[in-house]
Amino acid sequence: MGIQEQYRSEAASLLSSGEVKLVIGFGPGTTADRRRALFARTAEEAEKLVLDPACIANLTTYLVAGGLLSDGKKVAIFLKPDAIRSLNILISESQVKPEQVVIFGYTIENNEIKELPGHSIGDFANLGEKLRTATAPPSVQQEAEKLEAMSPAERFEYWKEQFAKCIKCYACRQACPMCYCRRCIVDVNQPQWVSTSSHTLGNFEWNLVRAFHLAGRCAACGACDRACPVNIPLRLINYRMGKEVKEAFDYYAGESSDQNPVLASFSQDDPETFIL
Amino acid sequence: MTRILLKNKLDDCIAAWQKAGYSVLAPVQRHDMSSFDEVQKGSDMALDLILTERTIKDQFFPQTEPLIKYNISKKEIASETMTPPDKKRVFFGVRPCDASGLAIDDPLFGWDYKDDYWFKRRENSVIISIACTEADDFCMCTSVKLSPDSTKGADVMLRPLANGNGWQVDAVSDRGTALLESVSSLLEESSDEAAPVPQVAEKFDVEKVMEWLGDKENFESQFWKDISMRCIGCGSCTFLCPTCHCFDIQDEGDTYQGIRRKNWDSCSFALFTMHTSGHNPRNAQSTRWRQRIMHKFNYYRGKFGVNSCSGCGRCTRQCPVDMGITETLQAITNLPR
Repeated sequence: MGIQEQYRSEAASLLSSGEVKLVIGFGPGTTADRRRALFARTAEEAEKLVLDPACIANLTTYLVAGGLLSDGKKVAIFLKPDAIRSLNILISESQVKPEQVVIFGYTIENNEIKELPGHSIGDFANLGEKLRTATAPPSVQQEAEKLEAMSPAERFEYWKEQFAKCIKCYACRQACPMCYCRRCIVDVNQPQWVSTSSHTLGNFEWNLVRAFHLAGRCAACGACDRACPVNIPLRLINYRMGKEVKEAFDYYAGESSDQNPVLASFSQDDPETFIL
Repeated sequence: MTRILLKNKLDDCIAAWQKAGYSVLAPVQRHDMSSFDEVQKGSDMALDLILTERTIKDQFFPQTEPLIKYNISKKEIASETMTPPDKKRVFFGVRPCDASGLAIDDPLFGWDYKDDYWFKRRENSVIISIACTEADDFCMCTSVKLSPDSTKGADVMLRPLANGNGWQVDAVSDRGTALLESVSSLLEESSDEAAPVPQVAEKFDVEKVMEWLGDKENFESQFWKDISMRCIGCGSCTFLCPTCHCFDIQDEGDTYQGIRRKNWDSCSFALFTMHTSGHNPRNAQSTRWRQRIMHKFNYYRGKFGVNSCSGCGRCTRQCPVDMGITETLQAITNLPR
């Protein structure tokens, strides 16, 4: 039995026994190469679940949407390692109770799906260590190095051109599991903190606010980058912020579900390089 | 015999229009994104794209538009109405669905108040459409009763020649006829045949959809919750749509100086209908998705006699969670009645 069939049948039995109220997985999409979130509430619906190398989306976004977990009931969800990382972050930020989530873990290696055994977040505790030493994809590293080599003026020009494309659809925010604020700073209009206009200032304001809010919280799942309809390379910003936090605080976001959020905790060993 | 524009005359055409005072805008691919932007020569154009990612709507209804500037000093209070530049423009290589989008929005911007910002740009622009020779899985113009060679909203219609050397040229409006006169010496007589338009299958039954939407019984249907569960509430479908037109007026500045702007807004956003009391009549994503569909295929039709969709399919093609109008309307078509 392949992992897809195994997980389908496990999902079906969780649903029929009433242990979970919902299974969030993947189903076929509009075109042959697309996969989309599938919400199964019955054993029959669980039969439609798909698990293959095209299942790359981070579904944890749906865990924090619309008060899904507020009734205390359990939900099962399909997660690959970066998504498990983001679940760790959500747990450490008290957004998700670990006992409410049943995990169907998987990883994609050489275009093949492999099972990550275990069902509760604690079963994946050793994953963080592995991820910590993993490197970013070569394409991201190369692009990031290109940016590092630029002068500040060139780099500013680069981002100005990229952000000029921003249409403020906020797909990056909506796709990101870490953007769970009930009211985002850009939706506060009394007073208006961030301009809603898509001019240079407005676009910089939004993208920089976003970058800072994700520093030390990003699981590098790439959801924002894939969601951006105008192809702004958001991965490069997140990559850089992650690197800063790692270098300054030796902190790797989402390594475990009980780590303290880096910017909401204090350690006497924290560097103070920015204070003269 | 029809008139044709050969590809090797395109640069001369652009030069002639520029000489006559026009800017020429066409599909371009820049910074890893395709949109309509100013070009200087044919090789700047990305004419092989099925569709640009951004629509030409952006060039008539910009995502941010300054309306009024004010300046208050001790001696005087000054305000200035800002109007769009009075620039004549030729849009070359517009897809029929995008051109139709402009025609669909005209009655909206000219309804109870004539929006000068829209119409000044519309009146100064000539739309040269190119019939499609390719379609993808997301194209759905035929489902909304348009076609890959629809002339709706176009001033000039080009049909690519089967031999790939150029285009058959036909004026559709007086404005188009006048523009073609300025380049008549560059056009040739020919009997070369046009390439066939692609077959775009009808994906939903728009009549059935309108009937279901018009039935008040269905307003609170569970259907809306089920179909929109995947929606993450970003506004990308609305912002990439050639007909979505919602906007918000914002003041930027302080007591002494500032600027009033018209910015895009989206019915997908929770803030869109948030009352100052804190009550939100559309407090769930399902009610917002319902609004989007109802607006396009019920309310707009009721008011202006046309659906607010030109079938470009961008809403699905670029949706981060693989939603879109097509699937919803297909599902409505197939609902048991």
